Amino acid sequence: MATLQQTIAKKFLDNLSGSDAVNASRIEQLRKLLADGKKVKPEDLVKIFTAAEDGDVK
Amino acid sequence: MIKLESAHIEEVRGIRKLDINFGKGTFAISGPNGSGKSGVIDAIEFGLTGQIGRLTGRGTKGLSVAEHGPHVDKTKFPDAAFVELKVFIPSLGKSAKITRKVSAPRKPKIVPADADIKAVLDETADHPEITLSRREILRFILVEPAKRSEEIQTILKLEEIGQTRGALNTAQSRLQTAHKIAAGQVQASRDTLQRHLRIATFQAAELLAAVNERRVALGLTPIEKLTAVTKLDAGLSETGKAPEFNKASVLRDLKALTEALGLLPNAGKEEVASILSSMARLESDPALLDALQRRALIEKGLDLIDGPDCPLCDRPWDDEEHLRDHLNAKLAKSEEAGKLQGELLKSGSDLARYVVRLLALLGPPLKVASGEGDAACANLITAWTTNLEELKAQLISMDGLMGLKDRLASGWSATPKALPAALKALAGKIEAKPDQSATVEAQTFLTTAQLRLNDYREAMRKNEAAKIASASAQEAYDAYCRAMEDELNALYEAVQEDFSEFYKAINEDDEVRFTAKLTPSEGKLDFNVNFYERGLFPPGAYHSEGHQDGMGVCLYLALMKRLFADRFTIALLDDVVMSVDSAHRYQFCKLLKSQFPNTQFVITTHDRLWAEQMKSAGLVTAKTSLAFHSWTVDTGPLVESNTEIWDEIAGSLAKGKVDTAAASLRHHLEYASRHMADQLGARPAFRADGNYELGELLPSVLSRMKDLYGKAAESAQSWSNAAAKEIAGTRKTTLSSSSGAMNVEQWAVNKAVHYNEWANFGKRDFEPVVSAFRELLDCFRCNDCQSWLYVTPKGIPESLRCPCSGTNMNLKVKPKG
Ligand SMILES: Nc1ncnc2c1ncn2[C@@H]1O[C@H](COP(=O)(O)OP(=O)(O)O)[C@@H](O)[C@H]1O
Ligand SMILES: [Mg+2]
Ligand SMILES: [Zn+2]
Ligand SMILES: [Zn+2]
Repeated sequence: MATLQQTIAKKFLDNLSGSDAVNASRIEQLRKLLADGKKVKPEDLVKIFTAAEDGDVK
Repeated sequence: MIKLESAHIEEVRGIRKLDINFGKGTFAISGPNGSGKSGVIDAIEFGLTGQIGRLTGRGTKGLSVAEHGPHVDKTKFPDAAFVELKVFIPSLGKSAKITRKVSAPRKPKIVPADADIKAVLDETADHPEITLSRREILRFILVEPAKRSEEIQTILKLEEIGQTRGALNTAQSRLQTAHKIAAGQVQASRDTLQRHLRIATFQAAELLAAVNERRVALGLTPIEKLTAVTKLDAGLSETGKAPEFNKASVLRDLKALTEALGLLPNAGKEEVASILSSMARLESDPALLDALQRRALIEKGLDLIDGPDCPLCDRPWDDEEHLRDHLNAKLAKSEEAGKLQGELLKSGSDLARYVVRLLALLGPPLKVASGEGDAACANLITAWTTNLEELKAQLISMDGLMGLKDRLASGWSATPKALPAALKALAGKIEAKPDQSATVEAQTFLTTAQLRLNDYREAMRKNEAAKIASASAQEAYDAYCRAMEDELNALYEAVQEDFSEFYKAINEDDEVRFTAKLTPSEGKLDFNVNFYERGLFPPGAYHSEGHQDGMGVCLYLALMKRLFADRFTIALLDDVVMSVDSAHRYQFCKLLKSQFPNTQFVITTHDRLWAEQMKSAGLVTAKTSLAFHSWTVDTGPLVESNTEIWDEIAGSLAKGKVDTAAASLRHHLEYASRHMADQLGARPAFRADGNYELGELLPSVLSRMKDLYGKAAESAQSWSNAAAKEIAGTRKTTLSSSSGAMNVEQWAVNKAVHYNEWANFGKRDFEPVVSAFRELLDCFRCNDCQSWLYVTPKGIPESLRCPCSGTNMNLKVKPKG
């Protein structure tokens, strides 16, 4: 049985892949960050969201 | 998770050396207050998790496992303090031994060290909530909703989830601010470009018209379409770009700045007012200010946590989790401060946009001043630019904002006084220069336009990236909140159902229609229960304390069931079930047996009767229960054991410790007479509080037993059973002579004489006392199985017997006729 946190993390990532505001590579990075089991820091997230991404800038 | 097979405890808490065989099943430990029950629970918890909740939980400042975990006599030798647990892992079908020393709580020795065993033990170590102590139980029930939410979050281990959510929120708001600033930058660079181009609206056609006019004048081909890579000065030779500036444009830049300076006193007025009023609110409410300051500090602390030492004050904690709990709890207390913080940061970043615009206006004049060798003016602008950059950074952080009060009150821009004059002089100097030739004008127009277009494009690019970052962070935060809410709501709903069912099961007779509702809302968890179908109310409103305690246990069980499902194999209930009122204990035992057949409960209680009830309800057996009769600092808990008590007393006497022996004897007598009063149906003068004293209990037990033996003899006589009559008669005689020896009948009259004096007895005087009581108590036991005799049925007894049937005396007289 998954822990509550794992269930929430999974649902969160599912929620995200259904929206197009966050691209696949960012979702993947978030998945890794959450799977790490370490506590998530705002800096890590800022890095993920601001990482330059092909196709981001038109 | 695991089940306990056995425990060996040495020098932990109040325990010196103790072995307990749990046999993987539910187990009861009883004993009066201070007899060491919690010590056992602490030791098991320590063995499994490396922590002791009682020492490191909330409100336990200054206590630690390292210092207070070992027995007080071993604090200098913490190596001597250890727990060795034999556990069984149902999911693996394996047993393992885990040994943990207080001196190395994080490095247990596990045998066998199989990876799968270690994984299960690691998981168990991660769940200190398998222990439920009395101190904690009402946390779920009586606390206010915000606090309950916090407590339940702790038990659900939600702090990690909260941490993730908080980090997403922080990231989201930082990126939103960054986007706002980036948008301001776009606006400013567009203004700069537009001012240079002198176009009314910022449109490609107008831009190209202005540019092409110059290009044609210079004999260059006009640009037909503005694309992302268009170069406005394409075709200009390097030499053609020679002159430093476009005179007319520079003058416009200077004018724009000068005009802006004139408007500064009013710029950002609203934002400043909002910031200042928030600050005033803080000042008038020191508690709020304190909460806010601590909030900033604590947020920082939470960010910095890396190991068990507090990053704020270096205080060592037992582990990171407790430290984080502690800081999170503090943070939660400052809801209002948090809202205020949000408002402050919003106004701050709005004001920062004005700063951005001002900075953009300062750029071109600075270039000119330097180019013209006007060092005074250049220095003024440089210094101010630096100052404004600082201000911008301060405006978007809480710490920064808090330091800005004076500046904001006296005009945020802090315009250098000498600047307007310096700018005027500079403009005069530029104006005095001869007008530029049409060619130079066109050339510098194009080069400057291109430079500013580059800046604009760069700002646009950054803004676009910032927008995407902000939008995805926002989306991620929302998605996480949704996921969290959905899952928690589902969990709460399930818990609420289970809770109602459990609670109904316990209170079967009087609350049949019982329902409960857990209503989660932002950071709160409302909990309401039905009171005799009069509606839903908070548990503290009408329910008795016994009921509330019962609710606490039920809510705990419901949470554990939902959280761990089939992995809920063990729970340590430390003195929490005694508060279930006596009428409902039997149902409680039934609930545990029927709803949690695969869970091992280790239940402690200071209530002897409860311990007996658990046995008669079949929750535990004589083999799976343990009774402490007392505790001393030298011996640790003294185990109530019919055979060993006399060895223990003899041991104390051998060491010359008459007081210890006397205490042991007294506790044993207290236990035995209470127990016998219950088993035999003795009739001491009724006491509503149940606090019977030995001095009244023992005499009434004695006379009851004499009666019973008398009845047995009478009955045997009526049935013409000579052997039975002989046995009953002998027992009665022995009883009379043993009790006579101790004058026990006199105790009720003359209370003080007996045991208070024992402590002053010499060893020799006391030994006969001990053997007299031993003889006396033997009159209440079966000679074969050593168990205490009991009557059955309880109301009008028909026989006096023991569990092995070695003793079974008929009490019914043969009907005449
Ligand atoms: N580290 C320790 N060293 C020695 N005695 C201790 C220590 N910790 C607790 N005690 C003592 O152990 C005794 C048993 O306490 P406790 O286990 O809490 O009893 P209970 O739970 O049965 O009421 C108490 O007298 C207590 O003061
Ligand atoms: Mg206790
Ligand atoms: Zn601290
Ligand atoms: Zn027997």
